Amino acid sequence: MSETPQGDPVPPHPTVTVLGGGAWGTSLAHLAATASGRALLWCRRSDQITEINQRHTNSRYLQDATLHSGLEAVDDLRLAVSGANLIIVAVPSQHLRQVVSDASEHLQGDQMLVTATKGFEVDTFTSMTTVVRQETCLRKLGVLSGPNLAVEVMAGQPTASVVASRHQDVFTTTARALMGKRFRVYGSDDPVGVELAGALKNIYAICAGFVDGAGLGANTRAALITRGLAEMTRIGTRLGARPLTLLGLAGVGDLVVTCTSSLSRNYSVGFHLAKGEKLSEILTSRVSVAEGVRTTEAVTRHARRLGVEMPIAEGVNQVLNGRTRPLAVLVKLMARKARYEIERSDLAPPDSPGDDAGGSPMDHGPTPPAWS
Amino acid sequence: MRAEDRALAVQTVSERVCQQFLALPPADDESSRDSLEAILEDTIWHERKRLESGRADGDPDADRSFWRSISGRLHKASHAEREQLLSQVVRRFETEIAGHFDPRVYDVATRLIPVGLGLLLNAASPKLLFRHFPRLPDVTDRVFLRGEVSALRTLRDRGTVILTPTHISNLDSVVVGWSLHALGLPPFVYGAGLNLFRNPMMAYFMRNLGAYRVDRKKTAPLYRQVLKEHSTVTLEQGYDNLFFPGGTRARSGMVEKKLKLGLLGCGLRAYINNLMSGREKPAIYIVPCSIAYPLVLEAEHLIEDHLQEKGKSRYIIEDDEFSQPRRVLQFVSNVLSMDARITVRFGRAMDPFGNPVDEEGRSLDPKGRPIDPSRYVMIDGQPAHLQQRDAEYTRELGKALIKSLHRENVITSTQLLAFCVFRLLSRGHPDLDLYRLLRQIDGSGAESNGNASALSVREVEQALELLLDHVRRLASQGDIHLDDELDSASATRVLQHALRRFGSYHRRAVIMRRADSLSVGDPELLLYYSNRLTGYDLEQTIGHQPSEAPS
Repeated sequence: MSETPQGDPVPPHPTVTVLGGGAWGTSLAHLAATASGRALLWCRRSDQITEINQRHTNSRYLQDATLHSGLEAVDDLRLAVSGANLIIVAVPSQHLRQVVSDASEHLQGDQMLVTATKGFEVDTFTSMTTVVRQETCLRKLGVLSGPNLAVEVMAGQPTASVVASRHQDVFTTTARALMGKRFRVYGSDDPVGVELAGALKNIYAICAGFVDGAGLGANTRAALITRGLAEMTRIGTRLGARPLTLLGLAGVGDLVVTCTSSLSRNYSVGFHLAKGEKLSEILTSRVSVAEGVRTTEAVTRHARRLGVEMPIAEGVNQVLNGRTRPLAVLVKLMARKARYEIERSDLAPPDSPGDDAGGSPMDHGPTPPAWS
Repeated sequence: MRAEDRALAVQTVSERVCQQFLALPPADDESSRDSLEAILEDTIWHERKRLESGRADGDPDADRSFWRSISGRLHKASHAEREQLLSQVVRRFETEIAGHFDPRVYDVATRLIPVGLGLLLNAASPKLLFRHFPRLPDVTDRVFLRGEVSALRTLRDRGTVILTPTHISNLDSVVVGWSLHALGLPPFVYGAGLNLFRNPMMAYFMRNLGAYRVDRKKTAPLYRQVLKEHSTVTLEQGYDNLFFPGGTRARSGMVEKKLKLGLLGCGLRAYINNLMSGREKPAIYIVPCSIAYPLVLEAEHLIEDHLQEKGKSRYIIEDDEFSQPRRVLQFVSNVLSMDARITVRFGRAMDPFGNPVDEEGRSLDPKGRPIDPSRYVMIDGQPAHLQQRDAEYTRELGKALIKSLHRENVITSTQLLAFCVFRLLSRGHPDLDLYRLLRQIDGSGAESNGNASALSVREVEQALELLLDHVRRLASQGDIHLDDELDSASATRVLQHALRRFGSYHRRAVIMRRADSLSVGDPELLLYYSNRLTGYDLEQTIGHQPSEAPS
């Protein structure tokens, strides 16, 4: 084992497996292979596996970007997960339960799992981490989120991400697995906040697409992003997130990139809707999933139940359901009555969840997930 | 605890606790306080504070002399001498804590229990007890054992058990002690507050029923560390333990919502130590347990304490009903001589990570498949302690335990009626906070609010019917349990049972019946007994929940 400049032993690189051969899953496997020389990528399609292993590309999702030669694609789930120290899951939210359920019989308690999927299980408003907890014996769970457009990551452009977990070793292991000269990993002990931020920002990305699609300018977009952040904070803190987490990489960082880049899938959906295209046509024309379309309905339904005001999300939901048009939403938002930018109720949410089992010096744990 | 194990425990605990502090990195600067000096000074400060309070238990004069001596030697001591001082302090704490177990006395004690639980309940003298109550009821007919009883027996053979009951009365440890005896199990080791040892006879039995001494007035972190290590070592020695995970009696009457994770974490530490030492049966099983009384001996003091803002921080109540022999006598006489019963319910066991455990002692994943729990504590293929990780596992165990204690909660007729009446009355005063509501609904005495606390019997019976439907539905799903007498009883019968019990022991009847109306005799006790049904969303069945914050 080698040593750090301070003389501490450097732990070996973890064995990493990524589940999900989409744009982000492939990029993460590429980062892991770059850092340690080897990573496994589990995907279902045999043509994709052949292409990754022989040509080192995944053209369906990442055009001609060259993947690290140490990245090996496999379709055997047992083989993929049973030897991994760290499993990163990057499958669409609606498939995550089935994938981790299938993997669960091959998993052991000392393995770590990090979800990189940004969304909810729509019908039950269940977080991805909760789904993993319900389906597997794993406890060392984490969430990865941040301003990470896969195409830019694969182009080697510098960026950063955050890994949130209640277990410190999940952060240190994930950082060691993915960090490189152009990809930084920060740690957080607020997985609820990071997971919520990553899922919620997609709603505002769709709305930002409305703004640009309608030909409106930077003022409008900036105002929309800022008020979107206020909504995210309102519902997020109510569900157990720490407000400061929403100002971090997974919150503001991801919100800014996804609301301003044409590479963002959710932004692109909003943009084309504002141009008059139909949602069904937009969705069938792309291979990647725009998680915000599914998230919006679940979030607005849950916010209504909690009595949390989310006018932007409500407007986006109405457009996605075909009940109104994007420009009408923007007009309606501008017609709302005057209010303070930050209301008292925004700062002191009622019934914010606490730590049931807390109160002991041994209890280092942050607020538990309150949403499921 | 066998004498040789006790001696070994004293030695092991002393060595381990000292080692934990000696392992701390030395201070960079020779002239600065090192960590040993810091911990010793801290302990001296806490002990002096305790002794100056004038309420110290044990032998305060001997303690003063001991700490004076330690303090005097500390400042001139070299590092090696400080190590000796630490060892001396830790050994003194551990020797005091460690219980003494004599199998012959245990045999006598346990044979006495079925003859009369009252004998052990009596905090004064047996003479007084027998003079007032010559024919003690046989508790065999009064204490009902329910739940996963057979699993408890099996798991004891496959590993070491930590029984974690709800805590509502000082009688709990005695009732659990009797229950274990009735199941044919040896006594469980547990930490009992010094107040339970005050009476020499009680102390004699407590000590020999597996209790070790916990001085809650000793607040030094070093003392707490010794306590936790003592529990850990006894678990490793294979002694089943009894932990009250809430730490103290629930003042509000609610089922525990917060747990003391420090003690609970001993199970995981012992498990890892067992794995590291290659023990043949390393498993530690946590068995939730609920104890249900139709009436609670110390209810009046507990709820009063809960409602007083200052009282919320009072950890030790020394002047409650448990310290008054006549009240204990009255309680035993009135409660146990009626057809009332105490139910002890054992829940499904879990491992130190909160995973459910089957009767074979195997940990199960959420899908019910057996898993290897040792993998949770492996680092590079070897079992190892990791402070932050283990704290997180214990936090998860705490959450699972809280859920289980709520599921195993056994509801009695008194709690049902109290909940029903309290909700009906609070529905009639939606604008009042809890404290004003309690004043408003007091139907006793000359300043009675008359109609404010009166309800018609018919109205209450109708609400009880709805409530019974709801709790029976919850019970059918396993989310709560009902006292056997509630299984098929009508609302009228539940009302009669509860009124009879409410009128039998407390200074003021909790609820009184006058012709066709019911009024509240003691609003605080009404709240106390109703609180046992908090947390099941039953409020919607009857009425709104008043705010605890003064408006």
